[in-house]
Amino acid sequence: MLRLLVDSVRDYAIIMLDTEGRVLSWNNAAEQLKGWKAGEIIGQSIAKFYPAEEVARGKVENELRVAAKEGRFEDEGWRVRKDGSRFWANVVLTALRHPDGSLRGYGKVTRDISQRKANEEKIKQQAQEIFEMAVVPVVQVWEGILLVPLIGVLDSMRTQQLMERLLHRVTETSSPVALLDITGVPTIDTQTAQHLIETISAVRLLGAEVILTGVRPAIAQSLVHLGVDLSSVASRASLAAGLRTALGLLNQTIAAAKDQAHA
Amino acid sequence: MSPVPPAGELPIKAEHDIVTARRTVREASTQAGFAATDVTRIVTAASELARNIFKYAGEGVMRWRHVRTDNRSGIELQFEDCGPGIADVDLAMEDGYSTGGGLGQGLPGARRLVDEMEVQSKVGVGTTVTVRKWRRN
Amino acid sequence: MSTAISVIKVRDILLVTMPPDPDDSTIAALQERVLAAMERHGSAALILDIAEVDTLDSFFARTVAETAQMVTLMGGRTIIVGMQPAVAITATQMGLTLGEIETALNVDRALDVAAMPAPQKHRKVRR
Repeated sequence: MLRLLVDSVRDYAIIMLDTEGRVLSWNNAAEQLKGWKAGEIIGQSIAKFYPAEEVARGKVENELRVAAKEGRFEDEGWRVRKDGSRFWANVVLTALRHPDGSLRGYGKVTRDISQRKANEEKIKQQAQEIFEMAVVPVVQVWEGILLVPLIGVLDSMRTQQLMERLLHRVTETSSPVALLDITGVPTIDTQTAQHLIETISAVRLLGAEVILTGVRPAIAQSLVHLGVDLSSVASRASLAAGLRTALGLLNQTIAAAKDQAHA
Repeated sequence: MSPVPPAGELPIKAEHDIVTARRTVREASTQAGFAATDVTRIVTAASELARNIFKYAGEGVMRWRHVRTDNRSGIELQFEDCGPGIADVDLAMEDGYSTGGGLGQGLPGARRLVDEMEVQSKVGVGTTVTVRKWRRN
Repeated sequence: MSTAISVIKVRDILLVTMPPDPDDSTIAALQERVLAAMERHGSAALILDIAEVDTLDSFFARTVAETAQMVTLMGGRTIIVGMQPAVAITATQMGLTLGEIETALNVDRALDVAAMPAPQKHRKVRR
């Protein structure tokens, strides 16, 4: 009956190993999962199931040793099929003993959890995206006008996030104007100014324009003292003024389009 | 295009090989798990370096492989040729340097797109440029 | 393959579309075909659509900048359209310059831009 169970189980590869880690028995699920037929694999070492770089690091010996010492060893990691392809596996290695306590061999149960790992990666990625959105929010405040309320320090990493988010939103929404509000940016140093300039340049390459808003007197002073050249960038002290300018820019293009249409 | 393995070698001896290099690196970088913008950075750097081989040495080879340490993984590209070599590598790495369309053009630009760059060159012997880009595991 | 570049005359505008991942010959052909078309039609503006281009390196950038300069000398403007975000970020990080060009989000807007007077900086160059 037990043999029938082992042979019928589809989700778990159940195999027996000798004390050296060589395969003694093989079930149908093992064949399905790993690709080898029983005849091909019995007598071979389980090192065949591991990526070469891990075998070289002694992973197989380590697992067997821990299982022998603790009674069991559980792990998640890459395993290799007969055709060389990899899958993410959950593995439980159990030490089997003679009645007198000496080691008889091992039982190994392997489960393919690639799908679960893929799902975990996806959730991680989505969490990262949500985090990035919270860190750099890009809001559409009007048709064709995006607003980025920057809060906090603008270091290299945040600048990367900012550029990615903003540029993608510009493309997605076809917004010709982006308001970059720096009311919440406490200090401006040369680095931050350079980051802002980089961001503005990239947005312009897409075909959109940036208006810097929330430029407080202290910030304006810093920028001038730093000798930063923002002469080609429209900037306004308040967000409201920036919005007005943005609407003006949009109206210009609409007027021109109307002229075109009537021409 | 046949599937790109995690490591390999590509001869650069015809103009079209620059395109093949870009496509190969795009696939290899995507496989290495880089996000879209980083893939574009790596491909653009590869385009510069592959073109350098073709234009100034006439012929050479591009090698790629996935690399991994304990806490990060990434990609390594190597561009090797038996061309004229670069007399002054430091000078070639400076922005705006060019001996009238000369060697190393594109080096400073490519340098900005990757995390590590090593240039070994000997005049009359050849040049090897190795670049690496990493991502967190 | 220069035939991969599409050149269409629309009223007094040249609409040029680049294929994805053009090889060096195709990039060089861009310049030749634009100049030939400018000579033939005397267009007021060149709209260069690079929406399908996913790599913009220094060679491509230099060719575009030179072409734009030539177009200016022939009395026209150059408007680049559809640059992909990853390309824009990479180009900015590399410090690539495209020279005297204007940009627009898409061809529609490029036509609007072409209808408006050229930006101040641009006019100064022409004088």
